[in-house]
Amino acid sequence: MLYVELIAQGLIQGSIYALIALGLTLVYGLLRILHVAHAAFFTLGGYVGVVVANQTGSLAAAIVAAMIVAGLGGIVVFRLCYQPILHQPPFVPLIASIGLYIAAEELFRIVFGPSGLTYKYAFLQGEVELLGFLRFKTGELVVVFGSAAIIGVLSLLQTRTRIGVACQATVSDPQMAESFGISLSRVGDINFFVGSALAAFAGVMVSVLNNMVEPTMGSVPSYKALAIIVLGGLGSVRGTLVAALVLGVVESFGTIYLGHFLDRNAIAFAFLILVLMWRPQGLFARS
Amino acid sequence: MLRLERFSCGYGLFRAVSELELEVPHGTITGLIGPNGAGKSSTLMCVAGHVNLLAGSIVFDELDIGGLPATERVRRGIAIAPEGRRLFKDLSVEDNLRVGGLIHPAGRFKADRDYVLSLFPRLGERLGSLAANLSGGEQQMLSIGRALMARPKLIMIDELSLGLMPKMVDLCYDALLRLKQDGMTILLVEQNTDRVLSVADHVCVLESGHAVWSGNAADARNDPTLAAAYLGLH
Repeated sequence: MLYVELIAQGLIQGSIYALIALGLTLVYGLLRILHVAHAAFFTLGGYVGVVVANQTGSLAAAIVAAMIVAGLGGIVVFRLCYQPILHQPPFVPLIASIGLYIAAEELFRIVFGPSGLTYKYAFLQGEVELLGFLRFKTGELVVVFGSAAIIGVLSLLQTRTRIGVACQATVSDPQMAESFGISLSRVGDINFFVGSALAAFAGVMVSVLNNMVEPTMGSVPSYKALAIIVLGGLGSVRGTLVAALVLGVVESFGTIYLGHFLDRNAIAFAFLILVLMWRPQGLFARS
Repeated sequence: MLRLERFSCGYGLFRAVSELELEVPHGTITGLIGPNGAGKSSTLMCVAGHVNLLAGSIVFDELDIGGLPATERVRRGIAIAPEGRRLFKDLSVEDNLRVGGLIHPAGRFKADRDYVLSLFPRLGERLGSLAANLSGGEQQMLSIGRALMARPKLIMIDELSLGLMPKMVDLCYDALLRLKQDGMTILLVEQNTDRVLSVADHVCVLESGHAVWSGNAADARNDPTLAAAYLGLH
């Protein structure tokens, strides 16, 4: 019974990681840069969500608004911050990205204050019982099924639509994609929009579950998502999803069995180090 | 159709091709031949928009296209089957063809695909396979097919026969002749000069970035000094 519950809790946490890490993978796959500032869209999602929810009383409106604002913000970051320096060595965009993340955190502090915001209404706090012994917050189920649905729809779009196929072709060989009329800028826009919107969805859900949005809420997810995409084999979408869920479950077991001397994040990184010692290319490296 | 005038291209300070004059008339097959490193592939990639044009001009359909991005050149009617094929390996054969035809409305896909399959029936049996799993010959067919999906006026094919079994080379060359009958203009880069001379109308011989001979393929076939010096014919 305990195991089932731990696995379920791990999958909930893992879905949140997956939502955040997918955007990083999309950007890495396309541009080969580590988009550290990605976690700022997780935080941005949380802030837009709480502000819209408190104004309108509707969580659905908050989620949609957060995803759209973050998605557009992602496009702006791509066009203004990354595109002009893409031809530079990879550490240049990496440093720009770290700087951007720090600036974003400070911006949130200036605009929304250092102490964080809370929801005026209690969303999704009810409890649901499954199988007679598993109890979840409604919000936790929304996270798991919502992310599964969104990711499922995205993967269908990617394989079944012309735009999706164009994005895959661009990741595979950008120069040839251009030779068939695909604009790298537009594919970049799509990837940044989708990735940032997913992170924003995660940001809203985490802030609802914790009833708290604060400027630094993105920092732990930011480096954990980096760990996940390395674990998943850089650039592999499937690897990222599996790695996110595995990490969630490992953390959930770890906090029970090792929690008295290692905290949650230490467990996550100890696991990452162990896996990379065994498979330096990650669990699902692309050939 | 395509005219290169005092054409020089390269990467940074490195000049791959200097002062090349090349004319590819409408409806013909033009062969660009020469040894490894002569600048043949650089020439094609520059016409496609991926290598810097250092001097001179690229005139296509009486318009100078030297300043256009690659995405625009394919819309004007230039498609490439590049060196090394460079297929989208994680995509199926059908999706590779789909990407080839992205500049056209989705409604045209089936008809265009069927035209490619009539040229290369083998691809029809492999539509669902990943491009990475095709044989070398099938990959070359797909690379040409993908370029044809753009419905180009000019198709540029790089190293058509490299690494292919002779039977596959035959199939590809048969397809070229059929394309020519259908009115296509073809610029063909090859190291396999016998093959080129058998189908080409015109040839240009490049060596170390300079054109050392150009003219009718028939004249090239009958020119013993050319054959001995540049073409490795016996």
